[in-house]
Order: sequence, then structure tokens, then C-alpha cells
Amino acid sequence: MRALAAWLQATHASHTIQTVSWVIPLLQSIHILMIGVVFVSSLMICLRVLGGVRTDEPFAAVSFWIKMALVAGGVAGTAAYGRSLARLALPGAGFSVPARAGAVLIIFLWLAVIFLGRAIAYDREVWGSLSLHA
Amino acid sequence: MDIAPFVQAIQASPPAEWMRTSVKAMPIVESVHVLAAATVFGSVFVVDLRLLGLIDTARPVTRIAREMLRLTWVAFGVAVIAGALMFSANAHTYVVNTAFRLKMAALLLAGVNMVVFHALTYRTVDSWDRSNPVPLPARIAGLTSILLWVCVICCARWIGFTKGYDFSIPQNTHIDFQF
Repeated sequence: MRALAAWLQATHASHTIQTVSWVIPLLQSIHILMIGVVFVSSLMICLRVLGGVRTDEPFAAVSFWIKMALVAGGVAGTAAYGRSLARLALPGAGFSVPARAGAVLIIFLWLAVIFLGRAIAYDREVWGSLSLHA
Repeated sequence: MDIAPFVQAIQASPPAEWMRTSVKAMPIVESVHVLAAATVFGSVFVVDLRLLGLIDTARPVTRIAREMLRLTWVAFGVAVIAGALMFSANAHTYVVNTAFRLKMAALLLAGVNMVVFHALTYRTVDSWDRSNPVPLPARIAGLTSILLWVCVICCARWIGFTKGYDFSIPQNTHIDFQF
């Protein structure tokens, strides 16, 4: 953990952040703005359950929850995959079969996210008796 | 108009004294202020994005506005109270601080934008409640609102870096952090 912190602090980006005076206030401002977006977004979901807002809309369909799980997995997976690519590259011979399989998997994962997003509006039609809609 | 005596009175008030002397007051009040400000921005952002036709375009503008603006006003009230406490502690340094003045100007303009929108454009909302795109003045009001609130938050964060805090690490100090 200490080694990671030391490495992080020695990176070029970290050095820039430490020495250029306006970078920290700018990053902190963006940080606060994004907290506002994320906080209010999750608040909307929670308040929908508690009955305060968005009662004119059907609640989270099956597709919605699968989509959210895939988005989380997709972000983590894409990031991890991108980082590990440097190791996976075969010298002069393109990429190995597992690396190619990973690429296809990630493409299909994001396609599934996009389709599930649209399927939220058709929960009963898509999921039949599994649908969360009454 | 000379505001010096007024500023002096604020800085000498009991809440200001409490903010300066309590170890716990400043971090707690600052946290509450940031949380409330983030909530104001986030909830206003939702309404602005609807006006710009980027989210929730199938839902009536009035409904989104009613739901979100309740949250906005509660959070704004909390932010004002927490902000006033922070201001009182060092009123003299705030009134001459450029970032603080710019923040108040942006806040004022955001208020003007809101009043103009509600007094003129929003009066006819019944005719475009479910529309997308909404009339141009409403879209302009939404974009202006986003820009001004981003200015408010950025200026606000800049205050902390320009108003002259002492960032040096205190020596031989005993701080009781038992909240």
C-alpha cells in the first residue's frame, strides 16, 4: 500500500497537481460538482422507493437492475482489461486468444448495457412473469 | 455606504466567536455547507438538463421542477445558514476577498436568471410542459443556470485558497477530536 502511494506520488500527473497552483482548486471544484450529480441521482432512486418523487414512472424494471450490475462490471472490467493489455501483447504477433476473447466479451457487455437500457421501457414484454411490474 | 461597522458586528457576534474557538465547529459546518451546496447544484442540474432536452424528456417540466425544487430550497437554506456561520467567523477577510465577491455576484446572477425565467418564460409553461424541445428562452435559462452554478462552486472553492488560511502544521498542540 505504501509502495503504491509512493509510486502514485512520483508520477508525472501527481507532480503537476502538486506544483501548478490552480490544479487543486479546479479538481476540488469538479469533485464537488460531481458529488452533487452522483448524490442527487442516487437520492432520486431512494426517494422513489420512499414515495417522494417520480411516482408517475414505473419503478426500476428487471432490465434496470441487470443493466446497473453490468455497468459496474463493465467499467471495472474495461479499466482492468485496458491496463493488462500491455502484458497480454505477444511480441510481433498481435494478441493472444484470451486477450481477443476479452475484447469480444467487453464489446458484448456494453452492447447488453445499451439494449437493457432500452428494454427498461418494455419490462413486461421482455421478462413476462419475471417482470417487477404488477 | 460604509459596511465596516456592520462587518465588525458580525465578526464579534456569539456564533462567530463559537466558530473561531471550537475545534469541531469549522469542519462540521464546512462539511454541511459542501453537502448542501452539492445538493443544490445536483437538483438544479436535473431541472436544467430537462430544459435542455437531455434527460427525462417524456416527463412534464412542471412535475420535475416541483419534485426537484423542494429539495433545492431545503438544501439552499442549509447552505445559507452554514455559509453565514463560516462568513461570520472571519467576516473581514471575506468581504475583501475577490473569489468571495465573484461568488456572490454569480449567486446573484443565478437568482436573477431564476426570477426572469419564472416571471416571464415559466408563465406559459402549460403550453410547453410536455414538449421537447422547450421554447428557446427556457433552454437559454437552463444553460445559463448550469454555467452560473458551476461558477458559484468554483469561486467558492477558490475562497479557501485565497482568503489567507494558515496551512502550516501546528506544533505542540493538543487537539481533542472526540466528536
